[in-house]
Amino acid sequence: MKQKAMILSIIGLIALFGNWIGYKVSPIEALPGIIIIVVVTLIGWSLTEYLPFKIPAVVWISLLALLITSPALPGNSFFAEQTAKINFMALATPILAYAGLSFGKDVDSFKKLSWRIVIVSLVVYTGTFLFATLFAEIVFKIQGRF
Amino acid sequence: MKEGTRNHLKIHLLVLGLVIVTEFIGQKKIDLGIGVLALFPMLYALVIGGVISWPSFKWVKEKEMKLAANVLGIAFMLFVAKLGTMLGPSLPKLFEAGLSLTVQEIGHFIGTIILGLPIALLIGMKREAIGATFSIDREPNLAIISEKYGADSPEGRGALGVYICGTLFGAIYLALLAGFLGSTGIFHPISLAMGAGVGSGSMMAAASGALAVTFPEAADDIAVFAGAANLITTIIGTYVCIFFSLPVTEKLYQWLEPILGRSKKTADPVEGKSL
Repeated sequence: MKQKAMILSIIGLIALFGNWIGYKVSPIEALPGIIIIVVVTLIGWSLTEYLPFKIPAVVWISLLALLITSPALPGNSFFAEQTAKINFMALATPILAYAGLSFGKDVDSFKKLSWRIVIVSLVVYTGTFLFATLFAEIVFKIQGRF
Repeated sequence: MKEGTRNHLKIHLLVLGLVIVTEFIGQKKIDLGIGVLALFPMLYALVIGGVISWPSFKWVKEKEMKLAANVLGIAFMLFVAKLGTMLGPSLPKLFEAGLSLTVQEIGHFIGTIILGLPIALLIGMKREAIGATFSIDREPNLAIISEKYGADSPEGRGALGVYICGTLFGAIYLALLAGFLGSTGIFHPISLAMGAGVGSGSMMAAASGALAVTFPEAADDIAVFAGAANLITTIIGTYVCIFFSLPVTEKLYQWLEPILGRSKKTADPVEGKSL
């Protein structure tokens, strides 16, 4: 957990730089927001680790973040305002940079794959994205929402 | 300095460098006539990072790549938390779109099978097609397949093949697809945002990023609805895959294979050594 806290803080710090360059929010102004996000992540993770029943960390972290910013909780506007200063794309850039840096380990197994599986994988991603979009659109149209 | 610490330092400094450079480049839109390509910092970071870690260059050691993958798992949780903080204030808006959110989930789960299975059979896959198309084949789905058929079964290898492809170019592909579809104006940005919640963090981030670049005025709503759809897909995904997707794909395979499948068995449809 101590190591996780360390890594999360480093990534948070890197995101502050990205948020500064890309979205012109000074790191000092965005600091409380990123601290809130890091602390929520750590608490969510501890819940997964120490509670007797097993629920994935993603669920705890989402629920916790949702709860502290929801209108149901007093003080929610403070949390919502501070975390809003971190652009979600600024936070995603370092994450995908780590993904990129781990690419090399899969290149060898990829070279062994046939062209068929490559095509099928693209079709599979297209299918899930396209059908969900289509279904959402159809329901919105039926409801006359747009 | 210990080797572990040095590896850590190198990876984090590389990421810091990538973030600074790519955020300076900023967003670009390239008009192709039939649609617009949306390019933005996280895509550059993914691609440049991939080039840096390319094995022949020997710039990044195997150990460091594994470390980057581990850090990635931890880093994603920050993104999840950030999306959570966007969901809270938008709860009323989400409940209002509740029916769409529910129905589009069906699209996420059947979309891989409806489109994937027939095409896999048409190009000559056999039982590999079941593993390859029953889901988007991320980690939890791989576990389901290996438990039922074994990791080295045809089904298991089909799933692993799509997993490897997804790790390497799933995010980039979905980002380009989302940006392109968005620019055609066929679908509403919010429908596309829900579509982007495919149940994989990197793919969702990249696809919703592309939509946010294409529709800057709706950027926050896009993140909210993509995040909500992704959360639902993640939570119910395992159960749907075990009790619905896998048995249905298996049934459809038995029905469709004699119609669409090639009579001659292809040498090895996943590891195409003999091709």
